Amino acid sequence: MAPSIHYHCPCLSSSPVPPPPHLASSSCSFHALHTLFFCEECDAVRCNRCVSVEVSGYYCPNCLFEVPSASVRAEKNRCARNCFLCPNCRNTLSVVPSDPPEDDGRSSIPLSAIGEPPFFLYCNHCRWDSAEVGITFEKPTGLAAQLQRFEDSASDSLEFERLKEHFEPFLRTSSLSSSSHLPTHPSHHTRTSSITAAASAALARDIPGVGRYNTANPLGRSRGKDKSVNKDEMPEYRSRVEIGASGMAGDAEFMKHIEDVGEVAGLEQRWINSWKSSLQTSDLKPLRIPLHSKVSKRCPTCTHILIKPEQKAQSVRYKIKLVAANYLPAITVALPHMQTQDATKRTVAKSTPDEDKGASATMYAGKTYAFHLALTNPLYDPIQVRLSVQRMHVAVSSDGTIPEKARRPPFAVSLPTSSFTVAAFAEAWEYEDDEDMFGVEDDELGLESPRKSGKDKDGRGKTKTVGVLEKKANLTVVGGEVVIGKEARGNVKFNMLVSYTYRSDDPAPPEDDDVPRSPMKGPEVKTFAFYTVVDLGAISPKEVLQVVDLDF
Amino acid sequence: MDPPIFYSKAEFIETDTGNKVSRRATIAGPQNIILGGKTIISSGAIIRGDLRRTGPGHAVVISLGRYCLVGEGCVMRPPYKTYRGNFNYYPMKIGDHVHIGANSVVEAATIGNHVEIGKNCVIGKFTIIKDCAKIADNTIVPPNTVIPALALFSGSPGRFTQDLPESTQEMVEAATKTYYTRFQPLDR
Repeated sequence: MAPSIHYHCPCLSSSPVPPPPHLASSSCSFHALHTLFFCEECDAVRCNRCVSVEVSGYYCPNCLFEVPSASVRAEKNRCARNCFLCPNCRNTLSVVPSDPPEDDGRSSIPLSAIGEPPFFLYCNHCRWDSAEVGITFEKPTGLAAQLQRFEDSASDSLEFERLKEHFEPFLRTSSLSSSSHLPTHPSHHTRTSSITAAASAALARDIPGVGRYNTANPLGRSRGKDKSVNKDEMPEYRSRVEIGASGMAGDAEFMKHIEDVGEVAGLEQRWINSWKSSLQTSDLKPLRIPLHSKVSKRCPTCTHILIKPEQKAQSVRYKIKLVAANYLPAITVALPHMQTQDATKRTVAKSTPDEDKGASATMYAGKTYAFHLALTNPLYDPIQVRLSVQRMHVAVSSDGTIPEKARRPPFAVSLPTSSFTVAAFAEAWEYEDDEDMFGVEDDELGLESPRKSGKDKDGRGKTKTVGVLEKKANLTVVGGEVVIGKEARGNVKFNMLVSYTYRSDDPAPPEDDDVPRSPMKGPEVKTFAFYTVVDLGAISPKEVLQVVDLDF
Repeated sequence: MDPPIFYSKAEFIETDTGNKVSRRATIAGPQNIILGGKTIISSGAIIRGDLRRTGPGHAVVISLGRYCLVGEGCVMRPPYKTYRGNFNYYPMKIGDHVHIGANSVVEAATIGNHVEIGKNCVIGKFTIIKDCAKIADNTIVPPNTVIPALALFSGSPGRFTQDLPESTQEMVEAATKTYYTRFQPLDR
């Protein structure tokens, strides 16, 4: 596996220091740079886990129609036009006309552009068609409307409507009372708690078994409290349809005469039905496609908008887009021993097949490896970067039960200790003609290959490995080194603190200020620090054969 | 940082606009194919520009934008259907920064910009893929499917799996440009 680097978002814990990387759970705190956001107001990294998300628009993923949010609820979050999912395989269905009448033979050309009625829905993937289940249409448009009456008359939607009606007056009163009631509630028991408690109380009455689970629940306590206040007094709900008993016998009868597995609808096919549905495949109905949404994202602490998409559903542009990639230097990790092997594999694969096979891109215990970190500066100002490896905090753990072995990481990482510059990002490089880029690339190759080959020869990395190796435009490559212990296992994975200093973009205080800025001080500088986790890959146990190979 | 991807200089033809087309690719009806520039057609790819719409005049069958990659062994074939009793091929339009993985078969009608298609995919006839979408490896996209912007599709049949990050466009653009610069000739 290629070495990787992930960035830390401190939203999961109160401390700014990330969890030790050898804990499996630490991966929850680290994210790829391109998935992170940056709040300018808080000067902090935000991730998808911590941002607050709000819907800014709905659209159908198939016809791409932008559904006004007013009609989304009425249409039950599904496309109300011509888009249906195959109940069998969840592919989108297409409307097809019937075959033209056969009597004139094959040469006849249908006169109407849309084809012959009746129309039906057909799945291009699994060949399901709606005629099988007795659904055909007179015209090929407005299919959802044509199916609407079936849907409205279905027992589950009727039941749901009635349930809503039943709870409506109660919800209204409780939302009124809750505003006055709120201060007496414990802090984070939200407004909804009384509503959910009441609903669960009603459920517990109506459906045997629910109440039993509820009392074991902490929710049961609040329900009891609410009961004492008489908040959930409401008429008993009686369902219109009796479910269960009658269906079972039919199912058994059906199963007795089953001839083909395909006749039984799979669990996945029946899963999304809110109601217990028939077991038979022939009873599956086409499903209206669930809508998708575009979302805007906000910073959880200051509620400033981080992501605001354009209104148009299929636009990939954003009115506001504060992504971390525009603020933090992008870092990529590479293991040069892996790359040179790659290169040899490509160029002289024939000459040295054995070496090629043995020296795969793994790291062996008890050896020293160099690695490269390439930092790319997205800012318009040069930055001063300082890297440091986070000390393992395993030993500091409170209980002290950590075994002796885990206390010390089985490898030691050395990074350049002094700070180094990464030049500013200049838009011009983006548009520079590629001819020039080739030139740079070639030069760089020319420079790099002797160094690489030199290292190949002595195999011990006697050349300079720790420090700044290369500077090119807004990219700086620094080298690090990892010494792997003899008994090391697992991954070479360590937390790295990256702190960088840059000239602040904030406007300088105006000149008429009483205290003129001292020329010594220069422009105001800011420092930002963030944690990353670097995973260089797995350590292979030492192989005798391998060692011999290398020494040779 | 990334090592170059070498190809043999003898195998590829480079055009004035920087397209690199393998001599081992089968390009049928080249007069009906447009390459936007800096597009790579790998060896073993088959591009059927000969399947043109019936009727007089010049017809563009397949157009690819800039910084595209047609992987090894890919088949690019314009979609066809019988409409009002007439069998016909329809043009295929592919935007900029589109990478198509090895051994995929593409019969899409439209592919937007910054689209990634994995290896061993089948993109059915008249599929419409919007900008910045991604098709995972080994996905079968049935005919007439619409893939919305910034969606990841996978499976058979290809289904929506997740939304892609907001910075997908920049990521894909950087990746396709890097790939093109890494793709270097080797005289040997």
